[in-house]
Amino acid sequence: MSFESDLLAILPRLRRFAASLSRDRADADDLCQAALEKALRARDQWQPGTRLDSWMYRIMRNLWIDEGRSRQRAARTFAPEEAGEHVGHAGDRDVEAHVMLSDVDRAMHALPDEQREAIALVLVEGLSYKDAAEVLGVPMGTLTSRLVRGRGALIELLGEAA
Amino acid sequence: MTDIDEAMLIAWVDGELDEVTRRRVDRAVAEDPALAERLELHRRLRERLSGHYAPIEAEPVPVGMRALLEENAKVVRLARPAALRWRHWGTGGAIAASLLMGLGIGHLSGGPAGPVAIEKGAMVARGELASALDAQLASAQEDAPVRIGLSFRRKGGGWCRSFEGQAVSGVACRQGEGWQVQQLVPGGGQGTAYRQASSGDARIMATVDALIDGAPLDAAQEKAAKDRGWR
Repeated sequence: MSFESDLLAILPRLRRFAASLSRDRADADDLCQAALEKALRARDQWQPGTRLDSWMYRIMRNLWIDEGRSRQRAARTFAPEEAGEHVGHAGDRDVEAHVMLSDVDRAMHALPDEQREAIALVLVEGLSYKDAAEVLGVPMGTLTSRLVRGRGALIELLGEAA
Repeated sequence: MTDIDEAMLIAWVDGELDEVTRRRVDRAVAEDPALAERLELHRRLRERLSGHYAPIEAEPVPVGMRALLEENAKVVRLARPAALRWRHWGTGGAIAASLLMGLGIGHLSGGPAGPVAIEKGAMVARGELASALDAQLASAQEDAPVRIGLSFRRKGGGWCRSFEGQAVSGVACRQGEGWQVQQLVPGGGQGTAYRQASSGDARIMATVDALIDGAPLDAAQEKAAKDRGWR
């Protein structure tokens, strides 16, 4: 299998990871596209035999950190005006379903970057602690404490229904 | 009071506990309803998050990303799922048309060595481009001035091939004894601005997707089609 077809095979997971980091789907696909381009340029730096998915997660995460700091700060406010908009439609089941879905997005974006990326790698992508810590370049203890704090915040934001 | 902390509960949920510790947590949870509730909360959170993002993994990948990788690979392509077969035909056609106008076809057809001529109101390949389309195999084309990309059967019958050259790249389809050019975009030798577009050109992939019937030819099929004179 070629480098490109290996990338194509993991692309669905990379898009999912991008979506869990980004504010919306358009941003997520921009991030994913940028990560692919970067990977193709930097393919000589990938060591065959190591995990391509971890390498790609790292590239994507670094791009996201580089480009997304200010966007992330702007999004950190927990969208009170949006929550207000939906109050009037509380009886509408479709709108309720929509709010249920976007609650997860908004809760994720209320997290500090370092908690969100840890949560995304472990809970969404299903990486082991060891692999996730490697992607993020932090010790395992740091990863687990971010997971504990991030989850506490999510449970609080999402309520008991989490 | 128990010695099971939050980190152990989430490690239980994440499948990160060794067998001994896991049993210890299980015992503590069995004796402590509050702890059991906390564990359940973490289990549901993980389930909800992974469930929320799971549908994205099931989506077909965007055509542009796929094209970037496939064009970059420049190897025998795998057949793609029918669901992905080109959906933006209108867009592709419009882009192709606007590119043609921007390129100024008069110039292309004017020079004696130009790769394209206008015959009876249609663009046809000539010179090196025509020779490459006639005879060149994608598997054997080191240093050829024009490189062949994909060869494939067209919807409704006939053969088409994508090509990449110094001045122009594009797609041409067999028409009578010649090749009618379906699309031209700037080729690989036109400076850095175009280089990237050429090496991973989504526009050409879009045209291929619009025209193709089934999967691209593999090396053996390509040779057989060539040997039969693309009839």
